[in-house]
Amino acid sequence: MKRFALLSFVVFFAFATGALAEKPFPNRNITDVVVWSAGGGTDVCNRIVTAEMATILGTNINVINKTGGVAGSVGMSHAFGMPHDGYTLCGLSESNVTAGVQGGWDKKFDVWDAFIVGGSPDVISVTPDTPYKTLKDLIEAAKANPKSIKASASGAGSIHHLNLLAVENGSGAKFNFIPYKGSNDAQNAAMTGEVSVVVTSLAEQQQLLRGGKLRALGMLIPESFDVQDLGSIPSAFTAYPGLSKYLPISQAIGFAVPADTPADAKKVLVDAFNKAMATDKVKTWAKENYYLLSGKTGAESKKVFDALESNFAWTLWELGAATVNPETLKIAKP
Amino acid sequence: MQLFERMGSFFEIVGSMVIDPMSLAVLFGSVLLGILFGAMPGLTSTLGVALLTALTYSMNTEMAMICLMSIYVGGTYGGSYASILINIPGTAASAATALDGYPLACKGEGGRAIGLTTTASTIGTIISMLFVVCISPIISKFALQFTSFEFFLLAFFGIIISGTLTAPDLVIKGWIAGFLGLFLACIGRDQLQFFPRFTFGIPELDSGIEVVPVLIGAFGIPQIIEVLRSKTAMAKAKELQKILPEIGTVLRNLPAIIRSSLIGVGIGAVPGIGEDIAGWVSYGTAKNTSKHPETFGKGEVQGVIASETANNACVGGAMIPLLNLGIPGSPPAAMLLGALMLHGVTPGPMITFEHPTFIMEIAAILLLASIAMWITGMMLAKQVVKVLRIPTELFMPIIGVLCIIGSYSLGLNIFNLYLMLPVGIICYFLTNMGYPIAPLVIGVILGPMADENLRRALMVSQGSFLPVFQRPVSLILFIIIVWTICSQFGWYKRGIGKLKDILGFKRANS
Repeated sequence: MKRFALLSFVVFFAFATGALAEKPFPNRNITDVVVWSAGGGTDVCNRIVTAEMATILGTNINVINKTGGVAGSVGMSHAFGMPHDGYTLCGLSESNVTAGVQGGWDKKFDVWDAFIVGGSPDVISVTPDTPYKTLKDLIEAAKANPKSIKASASGAGSIHHLNLLAVENGSGAKFNFIPYKGSNDAQNAAMTGEVSVVVTSLAEQQQLLRGGKLRALGMLIPESFDVQDLGSIPSAFTAYPGLSKYLPISQAIGFAVPADTPADAKKVLVDAFNKAMATDKVKTWAKENYYLLSGKTGAESKKVFDALESNFAWTLWELGAATVNPETLKIAKP
Repeated sequence: MQLFERMGSFFEIVGSMVIDPMSLAVLFGSVLLGILFGAMPGLTSTLGVALLTALTYSMNTEMAMICLMSIYVGGTYGGSYASILINIPGTAASAATALDGYPLACKGEGGRAIGLTTTASTIGTIISMLFVVCISPIISKFALQFTSFEFFLLAFFGIIISGTLTAPDLVIKGWIAGFLGLFLACIGRDQLQFFPRFTFGIPELDSGIEVVPVLIGAFGIPQIIEVLRSKTAMAKAKELQKILPEIGTVLRNLPAIIRSSLIGVGIGAVPGIGEDIAGWVSYGTAKNTSKHPETFGKGEVQGVIASETANNACVGGAMIPLLNLGIPGSPPAAMLLGALMLHGVTPGPMITFEHPTFIMEIAAILLLASIAMWITGMMLAKQVVKVLRIPTELFMPIIGVLCIIGSYSLGLNIFNLYLMLPVGIICYFLTNMGYPIAPLVIGVILGPMADENLRRALMVSQGSFLPVFQRPVSLILFIIIVWTICSQFGWYKRGIGKLKDILGFKRANS
């Protein structure tokens, strides 16, 4: 009796594992390691999209947060250290491309194959008590008195700082850049009157814009953008076409798998991702939160991230904020 | 009229939460968890809120807020346990509590002290809740008076005041300890231009000195060495302790509790600074206005009440700019902002239009959390005091292990241990030489704020110090700092005495 029980146990397991081996990807839960903290833009974005992908794939996708290190290097190293089989995703954003030059890890960003959900576009705004009604007013005033107008855009070397630098390069104006720890602090400084110009993302600014605490002058993308209660914010490119040479530098929030993940698993993920991006839930969420959806994968997303990596890495190197020369990582100059 | 309407909807929300058993279970569970987080050295309410944020994703917004606010309230209060019973602050916010709490526990009055702080913390939270409901727009305006210069002066004031208050013999020693902390805070890449300072090429120092290992090392290690070396008994637990405070004591201290609450709300409302400064400023005010300042530091009940009431009142204060402006008033409130975004609520000027009852809901949760905290605290206190019955030889090694786990658990970084031990040993010698430790830790906590804001302020003013005297809030802060420093010197006291003579203010008894 005992032997029979044992035998049937063995047979059962043989069948069970056999069945598992035959079932195509994914036959167990997927883990999404988000490298930024819970509640942040990357985290929320990942939770929304993976929830949709989970129903499409018919499996669970567990979202966990593994923060810390330099530019999210702890979470990236963890996710990269897992088997490259498509069962571990790494939730990340454009800011992670600096991990290499800041000494967080020793890899170029193209070890990842990214799935870009999108991001909130940057907007340049002024405080309501300033005389600048249009972008032209502001730029002309800045040109007349270089470095006299104080501008905040999160920390030095952040995506918003890169946007501000691009505005300066594209228009010829020079601002007095005051660095803050994050977008929140940068916007707060405008509220207290310490600075008069703010460059942060629309998602971060929308409450202040709609509450009349900031005046939007231009979107730093080629298109205008409709905001509830405010109407349309024009594109900065209309007044200054020269900007198109330097902009847009957009957020790229999403997730990634190691580039050497088996092609069939990748294909399943791409299909599910495309379907998830087309769902009403993701679309409504993006609209309500002032995100522009991207949906880029594979070669397209690689192009986006290569450009971001080169821009970020060399800007940080020039600011003296990078510890590793981008050349040693073979990052091309922008 | 509007006020009555607000109050009406407020009680409606409170009622709906109380009759829901699920909300109550989450409420009490989270408060308890928060207290445990606060009481363990190394785990802070910020960390508690951060860890729980991800878990609340599947809950609805109201339940998630109950859970997170309760952790925040409980964690802020829980820090007092470790401060009072073992002289190691559970959180930076309760560092000032240890000054008088531990001497009280040594006298065998640990239970009474905890009972009093529990009640005072509850009253503090409730008063701050009233401010959230009634006059948050006014306070939000006040918070916007703070620019880089003010933040720098405030941080500097925090270091000076804690140095002034804790020095056992010479005030200058307190300031030296404070500036040592300020120096430690300079280590790492600077926040504005990424220039590496005192890093000696060690990559772990790039991101600067972590506060938690310094806090644990500075308070924990000297305590362990001292107790084990001298074999002196630590705090004693008396049999049959009365935990529930007498109504008379509470009533007698009510003015102090209310004053401490106001300080807490005001400091909480200022963005970026939180419970730790509130505790110190309130303690300082209590000592300076007391009729018998010499009893402070030797087990004065008022000292414990002052710091604990203020740090809990800070919770409500920190919610005011968060809800009305979208600016977090303290580090845990910054985590709450993240949690709110996760649930699709963006706090800010538009919140009253988009989620009309949201501020009321938060206030209701604050009220319920403070009541839950009182009930849980009263039940826990009796058990917690028993910790002191563990023999010292057993207890101190356990504390040692807790110190190591607490430092390591932060980011699972082994480097924190290499930091904690030397800091602890240096602090042991500093203590023996009569240097207070608290200002050093406050220096490490507030140093980055002072450093970053001073340099940013000078960038904004293009190198001019003049705005310090032109802006009203910074001028007031500057005068207070000068007065705090000058009042410690003999020539100043004599000068004031003479001035009073001349003006005919000299009282008969002075």
